[in-house]
Parts: sequence; C-alpha cells; structure tokens
Amino acid sequence: MPSYIEHYTLTCALGTGLAALRTALRSGQSGLSSAPWPDCDVPCYLGRIDALDQLVDPLPAERRSRNNALVRLALDQDGCREAVAGAVERYGASRVGLVMGTSTSSIDRTETAYSALEDDGSFAPSYRQPLTHNPHAPGDFAAAELGIAGPRLTVSAACASSAKVFATADRWLAQGLVDAVLVGGADTLCLSVIYGFHSLQLVSPEPCRPFAPDRTGISLGEAAGFALLTRAPGDSGLALLGTGESCDAHHMSSAHPEGLGARLSMERALAAASMTMADVDYVNLHGTGTRANDETEGRVCGDLFGPATVASATKGWTGHTLGAAGIVECALCLEALQLGLLPGTMNTDTAEAPFELLLASREQNIRTALSNSFGFGGNNCSVVFGAS
Amino acid sequence: MNIDFLGAGIWARHVPGMDACLALLDHGELDPDAAFIAPRPEAIAPRERRRAGLMINLAVTVAHEACERAGLDKSEPASVFASAMGDTAITDYMCRKLAAPEKLLSPTKFHNSVHNAPSGYWTISAGNRAPSSFVGGFRESFGAGLLEASSQAIAAAAPVLLVASDIACEAPFDTIEPVQESLGIALVVAPAGWRPKGPVLARAALAYRAEPGALAHEGALAPDHPWLAALAQANPVGAGLTLVERLCGARDDDAVAVPAAPAAHLEISFEAQA
Repeated sequence: MPSYIEHYTLTCALGTGLAALRTALRSGQSGLSSAPWPDCDVPCYLGRIDALDQLVDPLPAERRSRNNALVRLALDQDGCREAVAGAVERYGASRVGLVMGTSTSSIDRTETAYSALEDDGSFAPSYRQPLTHNPHAPGDFAAAELGIAGPRLTVSAACASSAKVFATADRWLAQGLVDAVLVGGADTLCLSVIYGFHSLQLVSPEPCRPFAPDRTGISLGEAAGFALLTRAPGDSGLALLGTGESCDAHHMSSAHPEGLGARLSMERALAAASMTMADVDYVNLHGTGTRANDETEGRVCGDLFGPATVASATKGWTGHTLGAAGIVECALCLEALQLGLLPGTMNTDTAEAPFELLLASREQNIRTALSNSFGFGGNNCSVVFGAS
Repeated sequence: MNIDFLGAGIWARHVPGMDACLALLDHGELDPDAAFIAPRPEAIAPRERRRAGLMINLAVTVAHEACERAGLDKSEPASVFASAMGDTAITDYMCRKLAAPEKLLSPTKFHNSVHNAPSGYWTISAGNRAPSSFVGGFRESFGAGLLEASSQAIAAAAPVLLVASDIACEAPFDTIEPVQESLGIALVVAPAGWRPKGPVLARAALAYRAEPGALAHEGALAPDHPWLAALAQANPVGAGLTLVERLCGARDDDAVAVPAAPAAHLEISFEAQA
C-alpha cells in the first residue's frame, strides 16, 4: 500500500515557495552566487536564501537561529500550515506525526554563541537555548509551531537525512501509528559546513558542475521543505511508492568504491515499490560534483539504468543543501511528476557518465521518479514517487 | 506494536557492561570511588578508536554487547542511534576552532561531527549494510528511538538494534543541559515471536500515548536502584533505565512508561512469562 502526498512545499536558493521555484526552473536561473559569507574566506559559490538574515530576530528568544528561521519561512509558503491544520482537525493532533531531517540543526546559533562566551566559559544569556543547541531543534520547533502531538523525531544521517524521513513516515502510516505525517528537512549555511568541506578539499571555487569531466567539487546551499503524507489518496495524485535505505560499511567520508551501498539503496527502493529500473521514468541523482562521488554513483547507475532512463543532477541549481538535499530533490521529483518539466544538470555542458544525463531542462510527462541521497557515515537512501 | 526484547548492552560509571549491571542489581554494592572507565571497543582499530572520541566508542561498545547477548550476527540488524545532545565534545571542538581567526578544522573531526558518526563506525566495525539512522528527540530521545526501532523491526520482520547515548557535558553545554554522567544503552528488539526458540528477555506491547493524564503510573518512570535512579537524573537517555531494570528481572511491573515526546510517552506493557 503506498502512502500519498497530500501537500508539499520547498524553499531554497531558487526561491521561497513553489511558484518562485517554477519561475527559476523555467528561466534557467541557478541559485548559486559568489556573494561573500560573513567571516568566511573560502573561495566558493553558495546557494543562500537572503531573506533569512532578517528573520532570526523575530523568533521567540528560545528558538532564535538561522535554521529555525528557515523552518518557519518554509512552513509559511504554499499553504503548508493550513494543510497540516486540516490534518490535525480531521484526525486529531495526536494522530498526526512529524519526521524532520537535518544535518546542521541549529549549529549556526551554537557557532555564534561561541564567539560571545562569558568569561567563565558559559553561554551568554541570550544564547542559553536548550531547545536550540541540540540535534532535534528543527523537529521540535516545527511540531510546536503546528500543534502536532503525534510521534515526532528528527533524523540526522548527514546528506541522507531528509530522504530517510519518507521511509520512517511510510512505516508509521502502514502500521497505523498515525493517520498523517509531516516530513521535512532544513539545513542552513554555516561556518561548520563551509570550513568542514574545505578541510576535505571538496569545496569548488566555481559553481559546481556535477558529472562534468572537469568538475571541481561541491557548492553548498541552504533549503527547507515539507511534505504531508497520508493513507488516503488525495487530490494531488502523487504517491510515495517505496523507499530503500542502506549503509556502505566502508568509510566515514568516502563512498564504497564499487558503490555497493548506493546500489543496495536503489535496489531496495525498487523492490519496496514492486518495480524494476525499467519502470522509472526519471532519476534525480545525488550528483554532488566531486570527482569520486559522481564517478561511483555513475558506475552503479550505468549498471542499473535501462536505455530509456533519464537522469539529472540538480545541485548546480540549488547547491548541495546537505541534510535538506533529500527533501529538495524529492520535491523536484514531485514537481517533475506534476508539471512535466525535468530539470537539467545546471552548469554541466558535457557529461562524463555511462548513461543519458539530461543537460538542458526538458518538457516531458513522466509517471515515476526516483531520488538518490547519499551521506557521510556511508548512509544511503533512495525514494520512489509516482503520479496516478 | 508487539515486540520481543532479545538482548541489551550498557556502559556507564559503575555499570561497564551488562554483567556489571546484573551484579549491581543483584547485590546492590558499588564502590563510591570507582571512576568512569573509558570504553574501548575491540572492533575498532586502536588508532581509529583514539580519533573517534568517547561518544563513538561508547555507542559502538554497547551496540556490540547487545548483539552478542542477543546471539545475533552483527552484520545483519538494522540500527537506530539516538541522543539528546549528540557528540558535545566534537561540537565544542568545531565551534572553538571556528571562533578562532584561522578556522582550521581536522577533516577527521569534521566527518566525525555528523550526528550519525556512531552509526557509521558501528556499521563499518560490524560489516553491516542494513539501514541505519540517528534520531534526535532531545530529552525524549530514548523513547523516540525505541519507537523508531520497534516500528522498523515490525516493518522489516527482523531484529533492529537501538543504541541510545549521551556523554557528560562540559562548559558551555553544562549550563543549558547538565549531562553529568556518560551513559550508553543498547537494546535489540524484534517482532514478537521472531525467534520461535531461544532466549527472549521479555515480550511487550508498545503504545504511543499522548492523551492528557495517560501517564498512569508516574512511579514506574524512576528506576528502583539508587545508582540507576541517579544516572537517570544525570543523563537524558537514562529514561531507558527503568526498562533495563525490568529486562534484568530486577522489577516485575506489568507496564513501564518511557517519555517519547513532550507530554507523550511510550507505554510498554509486558506479557506475563509463560
């Protein structure tokens, strides 16, 4: 039994809400820019959401952080709050669950707090925010904002985080733990991720070019998105058909050289959906733009894809939004299913891939789409969606 | 959700492993001067272990113990890791470095800073390619993790490993969440009857309760043993210690409640032993 997507929304460097996203996708305008990040001297392009700078202070003191400002901004778009309120009304607050995905959580706020520590080493009063300096901050904040009283937690599995939320939600719905689940993801730009990936020599000084033969690494970004899942088919006609999760059991920050975990996650998602790769019309690749990751993913996909499989990597549009990458790319799959617009591989002119990589965006009606998300810790997740 | 508990692991001051825990619950004696013993998981190479830090070593140690005591092939179970605060020692390292002018980070420390780092080290040390996750539920992380592990076990019709851990916090985190003792708890849960023969610690029905006043027996939240009760106060995942006492046979409640979210809990109703 599939779960159904009753509603979804996305806020990223391409725009705040779905209308802005569609405009950007149609006009072929990437969200990456070289505008400098405060206190940062790493040469890079970033997919930032400028509106956030003004949205931190209006938050309740206990919740103040860039990441929570992003959660609130995303919830305010496309009638997301109203859709959740409708589910709470229909099923009761304790029958609506929430599964959030994040990698950064509110570490942006913790970083700032460390630049203003008291002489005795404690947090200054305005930074004493237990609900904010912990991994569950975005899930707890979203549940509080929406009055969700059902089961709730925050998945933090690096760049697979907000793909895995669909797997948890699907299980909760199938087992009748809840009647509806809001899944989501939120990750914000911060010094930890820019200097962290810089320490691994993975940050590109140019806009990222996934799968290009001369690719030079990743461009980071920030984003948040949500999807409301139910057991009952809704008006959207969109369904979650299956999820697959796996681990590489190989290395903390290098993918398994033969892509064993990536293969397992795709195979498990297809098995859960009772499909084969030949049934998949469009694949949104993980495609980070690093030499090693794209090569590994490419090898596995070259092996698995059929001659008609169309795939693209979209991090040149949005940046790599890490813990939010899952929800960003799942939302792009849902957009492709709804609008018949397949996003191309922004910034990449020539593909180095053993399958057909879609370079320019293309109008094409599709019925099924698969999204890949692979993260540190060798954590992998693939999600399959369909349109009726 | 009807589940069987197949095995457990634990590590904290005075209870470095389940044998120590069972002995403590049996005769109740402890050396008040005993210090916390740093866990040294043999499955991780010594050089890696040194670089991993306490949070990872603690989680991986109890993960291996629970699987061994459950008699499982370690390469098989899916796993769910849970923590209220994550690895505050690594968070402190990252934020101190980033507050300095040079902002030079160790790449190893950076990849260990993801909250699923213990999951990564566990799956590598166990050769395990099953699904693995980290879930945060702040002060209700143990209950949130148990709910997720049990749900996953039932969906997969297979055992799932739950590992809940927090490490003692130093400044500045001690001012917002005073975690005074490090504690790791691991449990292997499986769908009821998954193992038709062989030892099962307990069989129970799990239910999520969010109704006001549904917490029928507040007393059942606190462990009986004074040291475990102290640990439960000193570490957020100590919320699982009452359940550990029950699984050790040190108490015989019909049901135990574990907080699973603010104003909600997991009710664990035990089936009488046949």
